[in-house]
Amino acid sequence: MPLLSPPARRRLLRGLVPALALLGLCATSSASVANALEVKRTPEYDLKAVFLYQFAHFVEWPARAFADAHSPITIGVLGEDPFGGGLDEIVTNEAVGGRKLVVRRYRTVDEIDTCHVLFICPSEASRMAAILTRLKGRNLLTVGDTKDFVAQNGIVGFTLARNRLKLRINLAAADTAKLIISSKLLRQAEIVHPKGSQG
Amino acid sequence: MKAPRTTIQRKLVIAIMLTSTTALVLTGAVLVAREAMSLRSLLGTELSTRAGILAANSTAALAFQNPEDARQVLSALRTDPSVVAAALYDGQGRLFATYPNGAAPPLVPRKPGRPGRLFEKENLVVNQSVAEGANRLGTLYIKTDLRQLDQGVRVHALVVLGALLGSIGVSFALSTWLQRRIAQPVLVLAKAARAVSERKDYSIRVETVSDDELGLLAGAFNDMLAEIQERDTALRSSEGRLRQLNAELEQRVAARTIELETSNKELEAFSYSVSHDLRAPLRAIDGFSKALLEDCGEALGETGTRHLERVRNATRQMGLLIDDLLNLARLSRAELRREPVDLGAVGQEIAASLEQAQPERKVSFVLAPDLRADGDSQLLRVVLDNLLRNAWKFTSKHPTGRIELGQTGTNGRRVFFVADDGAGFDMAHADLLFAPFQRLHRQSDFEGTGVGLATVQRIIHRHGGRLWAEGAVDKGATFYFTLWENGS
Amino acid sequence: MRDKVILIAEDNANDEELTLRALRKNNISNSIVMVRDGQEALDYLFGDGAHATRDLNQRPQVMLLDINLPKINGLEVLKRIRADERTKTMPVVILTSSAEERDRLVAYANFANSYIRKPVDFDQFTESVRELGLYWLVLNEPPPRPRAAATS
Repeated sequence: MPLLSPPARRRLLRGLVPALALLGLCATSSASVANALEVKRTPEYDLKAVFLYQFAHFVEWPARAFADAHSPITIGVLGEDPFGGGLDEIVTNEAVGGRKLVVRRYRTVDEIDTCHVLFICPSEASRMAAILTRLKGRNLLTVGDTKDFVAQNGIVGFTLARNRLKLRINLAAADTAKLIISSKLLRQAEIVHPKGSQG
Repeated sequence: MKAPRTTIQRKLVIAIMLTSTTALVLTGAVLVAREAMSLRSLLGTELSTRAGILAANSTAALAFQNPEDARQVLSALRTDPSVVAAALYDGQGRLFATYPNGAAPPLVPRKPGRPGRLFEKENLVVNQSVAEGANRLGTLYIKTDLRQLDQGVRVHALVVLGALLGSIGVSFALSTWLQRRIAQPVLVLAKAARAVSERKDYSIRVETVSDDELGLLAGAFNDMLAEIQERDTALRSSEGRLRQLNAELEQRVAARTIELETSNKELEAFSYSVSHDLRAPLRAIDGFSKALLEDCGEALGETGTRHLERVRNATRQMGLLIDDLLNLARLSRAELRREPVDLGAVGQEIAASLEQAQPERKVSFVLAPDLRADGDSQLLRVVLDNLLRNAWKFTSKHPTGRIELGQTGTNGRRVFFVADDGAGFDMAHADLLFAPFQRLHRQSDFEGTGVGLATVQRIIHRHGGRLWAEGAVDKGATFYFTLWENGS
Repeated sequence: MRDKVILIAEDNANDEELTLRALRKNNISNSIVMVRDGQEALDYLFGDGAHATRDLNQRPQVMLLDINLPKINGLEVLKRIRADERTKTMPVVILTSSAEERDRLVAYANFANSYIRKPVDFDQFTESVRELGLYWLVLNEPPPRPRAAATS
């Protein structure tokens, strides 16, 4: 049984311990985060970073999504980074199924080349529909926490309910992206079937 | 011979039962133990498998912080009543979800244990790592109640026990049947042997049924009995013959005894008549010879007188002969007394009387001291009187004589002897010495009737002894005698 | 001395003659009564048979009794003599040829006063008779007469 390296454990510890307790308190201020480098780390985004990391374990990509068997899994952040470095901390030196995890940051959608998990920041909320339409057809797990993210054909959406971070998944979108989402993950999420979306 | 009623039967049954029961109990114990072990192992494996499935199912719940889902996953354990408690711990070892819902320490540990299985006294505890790939997410804890296992083992043990009892019953029935087959011939043999020894009935035969060693034994027993019967019959018939012979012998002995008594009586009558009827005419011859000499002495003349003196001498000689003969006959009949006799003292008296009768003789008597013997003192006196008187007589032609009475020992047996240095005798005629009326010397040389030594021999024989003589002409004679040669 | 009768029971004529001769030679002049068998001896003593008329007061001084007698044996005669009051005390001398122990024993058991064996040698016989006469007729005091006989 593979064991987690001590730094990863520490990061998770730091990330998760306050997560549930402080989620409610921090939720209101999260919207005001502007600059990725300047923003303070919040429990909410620490938790979201952990989730992003965990997605890599519960999602299968088609082989063509990787250059070769050892190509890393890229976690991309589009827009203004709200994690405040928490994501990097979690992902550093981690690997899934023999693939390293790397974090890339994109300012525009055009910059996205090889990417497997893409968190589309709230800063992109106004352009969300266009971005998602652009990314349609790529083997990319799109994640966002904006309103109606899943309805706009985003694949995984974070929502807060009763101080807890919930997941919503658009299976049709995942299917379009040729991604196989583990049933275990699906069990944790609310499956959403947007009207008019292609099934 | 006491009947050992059923010992061999019981022994056989006990032996068989002991063997089979021991084997069965051992087998049963091994079976139960093995069952218990395999049940434990199975239970462990089962629990581990279940824990693995549960752990796999709970990865996402842990990864995505969903305690509800975790609880739901754990609630699958409801189907197994033996599960006492279960718990999920997150990566930091904090309690994440429990089963049954709401369970709290101490029902579940506060912290997860090391991964693995652990058999406690009444419980089986499994700690299973929860991980998605290399992604370690937490620990699953399940605690089951072993009473169910114990129950299973108990049921199994009961089944085995039942089988055991059944087997023992069957083996008892089998052993009873088998021992009968083995013991029955033995019992039949024993019964026959007892009957034989009690009733001495050798016509009994054992029925041989089996052709095994017991059959052989019975056959040998029968052969033996046949042999014994044959010998017994022979013994009985020879016993009968022996008894018949004995009876015949007794009859013959009785007849002989009667004959002997008759002849003894005849002998008595004979000697009685001898003493009266032979002596009376002799006395008449002597008496009237004397009367003739006295009344008609002158008419007879010198020659007639000499002739008549010869008649009278012969008459007297015959009187002595008759007396000796009567003594000899009486010796055979007289009762023998047995008492200590000092032969030396007796010899001394006889020597004194001899010397007194013929004081002119120069004869030295050498008498050994302490010549003690057992016997009839009167008869032994007759023996010494005869022997010493003989010695005295046969030394009379020598100017001096030496007569010795003593004893020598040969082979620890005492031999008495009377030795003289007188006329002696020729050893060639030694066998004639003791026959009645046999004489080795002329009457003119030495007077005597020839009955003396016969009398001595009769007395010595009646004393269980032997008499013999050694001698040489003119060199003297020695008479030896022993007493009680066959035991004192 | 006249009345001192000697009773002799002897069947052998030779012995009788020799006994009488020996008595004579020894000057024993007593009257001698001779009986030839046991029955006659008893008849004489008890006044029976041929001696029925005899005076029973005339008792023998001594009786010389042979054993080997016809009709009634000498020892039986002795027994009867001793059994009768009249003759119980009479001296009886057994004069016989027998040297049998048994005869001597029976004789003494029936209170014979002496037991003399007749020697073959006549000289010795004569000497014996002489001593016998001397003893019984001269030296020996006879028993007193039985009262019954005296009064009858």
